[in-house]
Amino acid sequence: MATTASPYSFRPIPLRVILFAAFAVHGPLLFMQLPDSSYDESFHVFFASHYAKHWFNPWNEKWFAGFSQTSYPPLTHQWIAMFSKLIGLDAGYMLVQLIAILLLTVGVYRFAKLWVDERAASYAALASIFIGALSTLVYQAGQLATVASIALFLNALPYFYEWSAEARGRSLIKGLVVSWAAAAAHHVTLIFGVVLFAAPVLWLACIDTKKAENERTLGGVISRAVVFCIIAGIGIAAVLLPYWIELIQHPIRQMPIPHASRSNYLLSLNTALNYIVVPYGALLLALPYVVVKGWTSPRLRPLLFGFWLTFLFGLGGTTPVPHWLLGRAFEVLTFERFAFWAMLLMLPIVGILMTGILDRFRGKGAVGLALAAVLTFAAALGWLNINPNRPTPALDIDPVVEFLNRDNHNQYRYLTLGFGNSLSKVSRYANADSVDGDYNSARLLPELTHYASAQLTNSKFYGAAGMESLRAMLMHANRYGLKYIFVHDPYYEPLLTFSGWREIESYNNGEVTTWSKDDVPPLHPISTDARPAPWEGVLWGILPIGSSFLAILVLLLLPARGGRQSSTEPLAVPFPREEHYIA
Amino acid sequence: MKIGMPIIIFAVTALLIAVAMFNPGSATVQSAAPNPSDAPERAINNFLIHVQQRHWNQAYSELANTDDVSENLLAKNFGGSHGSLRVFSSLQNWDFQPLHRNGNEAQVRVTLHWSTPVGVVNDVHDVKVQDDSGNWKVSWPIAPFPEIATQVLPVNYLRWDLVSASSDKEWGQGNLDSPHVRIVSMNAIEYEGNVTVMGEVLNEDTVPAFVNVAATLVGNNGQDLDEESSFDKMAHVLLPKQVSPYRIDFPGIALSRVKSVRMNAKATLVPASADPVIGVMDQKIQSDPQGHAVLVGKLLNQTGEIVNIPHVIASFYDSNGRVVWVSDGYVNRVLFPQAPQSFSIEIPRSIAGKVQSYHVVVNQYSLNAS
Repeated sequence: MATTASPYSFRPIPLRVILFAAFAVHGPLLFMQLPDSSYDESFHVFFASHYAKHWFNPWNEKWFAGFSQTSYPPLTHQWIAMFSKLIGLDAGYMLVQLIAILLLTVGVYRFAKLWVDERAASYAALASIFIGALSTLVYQAGQLATVASIALFLNALPYFYEWSAEARGRSLIKGLVVSWAAAAAHHVTLIFGVVLFAAPVLWLACIDTKKAENERTLGGVISRAVVFCIIAGIGIAAVLLPYWIELIQHPIRQMPIPHASRSNYLLSLNTALNYIVVPYGALLLALPYVVVKGWTSPRLRPLLFGFWLTFLFGLGGTTPVPHWLLGRAFEVLTFERFAFWAMLLMLPIVGILMTGILDRFRGKGAVGLALAAVLTFAAALGWLNINPNRPTPALDIDPVVEFLNRDNHNQYRYLTLGFGNSLSKVSRYANADSVDGDYNSARLLPELTHYASAQLTNSKFYGAAGMESLRAMLMHANRYGLKYIFVHDPYYEPLLTFSGWREIESYNNGEVTTWSKDDVPPLHPISTDARPAPWEGVLWGILPIGSSFLAILVLLLLPARGGRQSSTEPLAVPFPREEHYIA
Repeated sequence: MKIGMPIIIFAVTALLIAVAMFNPGSATVQSAAPNPSDAPERAINNFLIHVQQRHWNQAYSELANTDDVSENLLAKNFGGSHGSLRVFSSLQNWDFQPLHRNGNEAQVRVTLHWSTPVGVVNDVHDVKVQDDSGNWKVSWPIAPFPEIATQVLPVNYLRWDLVSASSDKEWGQGNLDSPHVRIVSMNAIEYEGNVTVMGEVLNEDTVPAFVNVAATLVGNNGQDLDEESSFDKMAHVLLPKQVSPYRIDFPGIALSRVKSVRMNAKATLVPASADPVIGVMDQKIQSDPQGHAVLVGKLLNQTGEIVNIPHVIASFYDSNGRVVWVSDGYVNRVLFPQAPQSFSIEIPRSIAGKVQSYHVVVNQYSLNAS
C-alpha cells in the first residue's frame, strides 16, 4: 500500500482551462450583447465613436454644447474605436469587454499566486469568473473601464512585488508599462488600487524579505517600491497629461449628485440586494473564513486588512468609514466598484477554502462549489431583470435620429427627456449637438453644474434639483440654439407647454414626441477655455493607446524566466486531507 | 488569541454599521429633512414623513381633525387626483416656524417644498397641533373636493384649424404670414437687485398666434448685457385680439447698467381653439395669514372637459394704467366642469402699495389635449 501522486483534482487547474471557462461563460453573453442595455455601455461606445472619427481631436461638440474627451481616460474607448473599423462599435465594445474579463482572470491568478499556492490561486481565478459583482459591473453597470483597469493593475502587481522584494529589473519594466496602461484605462481605479492593492503587496514583500535569510533588507524593499511609484507616477502623469491639464483648469466643483451606492444599504431591501447580496452571492458565506484565515496566517494579514478596508468602502453609507476618509470625495465617487475590489482581494483566501473543501469532501465538495458559483452568477444575471431600478429598455431612436439628420435640423441643438441611457445612442447616430450628455464630470454649463442632478434627460428622478436644472436650461434655449426636444415621458409636457414649446411630431403611436420653439436662433459655438490645444489632441491620440502597445511589446520581448523565486513559500492548503491510496 | 482579532474585526464592523444606523449624518450626505426636538414640530414632521412616502393610512393616524377630513380626502389632497399637478408632484422637504404655543395647543407655520413637473412649488400653511393625552396630533384643514353632478354641456366654442396641402410641412414652416402681434406695453424695473421687464402683448390678427417674447438688455456702452425670454410668465397661445401679460427676469443685472431694452415678439400661426373657457370670478386683493398681499379669486371651468393643470397669470397696474408687476401661480387641483376652484397669487410687498387694478389670464394644460 503506497501513497500515490496527487490525482488530477489535487493539481492546479491550468490557466488555459480557466481562460477557456471564462470565455465559455462570458463569451456567449457578450456576443449576445447583453451589456447593450447597461447604464454605461452607450456612454463608452459614444466616446469610442468620436475617436473612430476624430482620433486626434478630443473636442466633442455633441454633448454639453461642447466638451473635452480628455476628461475621461481613453484606452478602452480607443481600442473599441480601432476594432470598430473591422466589426463595428457595438461588437468592438463586447470584444474589449471580453478581453478585459480574460485579463482579469489572468490577473486574479497571478495576484493570488503572491499569497497562496498555485492550486489555490487557480481556484481563485476560476471563482473570479462567477462572482456576482463582475456580472453586475459588466452587464448592469457597463463599467468597462473599471474592469479593464483593475485587470491590468492586478497583472502589474506581481511585477511590483518581484521588483520590490527581489530587485528584478525586468519586473520593474514590465510592472511600469502595465501600470501605465492601467491608468490609461481608468485613473480612479489606479489611485485607489495603490492604497488598497499595492500597499498589502508591499507589506507582503517586507514580510517575505524579513523571513528570508539573504542579503536583501527592508530598507531596500521600501526604497525600490518608492522608485517604482515615482517612475510609475511620472509615466502616468505623461500618459494622461491632457487629462491632468483639464482637471487643473476645471476642477470638479459641481454640486454633488445623489447616488444609491452612497446610502445605507441596510435601510432598504432593494439597495441591500443590489449592493450586498447579489454582488457577493455565495462569497458572503466565506466571509468568516476569510477573516479567521486571513488573521491566523501571518502572511495573509496584509491581504486581510486590505480586504477589510475595501469591504468597508464597498458598503457605501452603511458605515461612516468612506465618509470619514474621503471627505468631499465621498459625494463624487460611487461605491459598487469597491465591493468588486473587495471580492478580488478575498479571492486568494477563498481559493484556499475551495481547495480545502475539495480535499475534504471531494465529489460532494465539487458539486457544492459548482452550485455556489453557478447560483451566484445566475442570481446576478437574474437581478438584471427583476431589479426595480434596472436600466430602461432600449428605445426605438430611429425616428429621432432620422429627424435630426434631415432638413438642416442639425443647425440647432436638441434635448431628450425620459430617454435614459438611450441618450448616448441618439448622440452617436445623430449629426446634431445636444446641451445634455451622459458624463457628469465633463459638464461646464452653469445650468447643469449648479444643481444636484445628473442628465437632463433624467431630470425628474433628481426631484426639485433636476427640474430646476431643466428649467434653467429651457430658459436659456435661445442662448444655446436649443430648438428641438424629444419627449419620452409625459411628465415633462406641462413644463414645455407653459414655457413656450409646441409639439410638432410624434412617433411610434405617441411613444416619443418632438417639441419645438420657434424663436430659437441657429446654434453658435459656445466660447470656452476647455477646448484642448492641438498638441494635447496629438498626445491624447498617441500616449494612452501607445502605453498598451508598449505593454504588449515588453511582455512579448521580455518573457518570464521560470517561476517566481519567492523566498517564502505561499500558503498551502490548511484543511485536513484524507490520504489516497491505490489498492 | 487566534480568533481574538477576527472577533475584533467583526465587532468593529458591527459598531461602524451601528454608528451609521443611529447617526446617519456621519455616514451619508446630510438629509435636508428637519429633525425637530419640539413635540408639536415632531408630530408635524412624522405626519409629513408619511405624506412624503404616500403612506396615507399612517398619515391619517397622526391627524387630529379626523371628524372633518377622511382618509380619502387626505390622500386626494396630498396625492392629487384626476391628473392634477399634485399627482405628478413629490414632497421634497419642509420647514417649520413656530408661531405660538399655549399649554396643550401649538401653532406652527409649515412651508412645504414640492417638486413638480413645472418646477419647485412652495406651499405655506399655518397648522394647529393638539396634545391628545401626551400624544401630539396635527389638525390640517383640507377643503373638500366638489361633487360633480351628471350634466350635459353644449360644445359651441370657436376653433381655428390650419389646413395644408402637404402633410409633410413642419409646424411653423407653412407659407403663411406670421400673425400680427404687438407689444402694447413695456416697463423695466429693478426688483431685489435684478432687472425685470414686464408688460403686455396683443394678438392684433384674426387668427391664433403662438407667441414668445424675448428681451435683450443693452448696456451703457452699447453692448448686449443679456438676453432672456418670458418662459412661463406669459400665455403663449393668443386667440385673436387676446392680450397676455409677460414678465422677463434678468438675474444679477442692476438697472443702472442698462441703457435700453430691445424687445422681440415672435409669432407663429397655429391651430387653436377657445376651449376650454375658464372664467375668473370674485377677484380681490387681500392679506394672507402671513401678512403678504395676495390676489385671490375663483376659476370656473365653463366647458365639459377636466382641466388638469391651470396656470394663472396676472398683470397689476398702477394709477396711470402702467403694468407694475406680473405674477403667476399654478393651481394644485384640477378644474372640474362648472365647479369653482380658488386660486391665490402673491404680490411683492414693495409693489402691493402701487397696485390699483389687475388683469388675470388663465393658461392651462390638459392631458387629453392633442
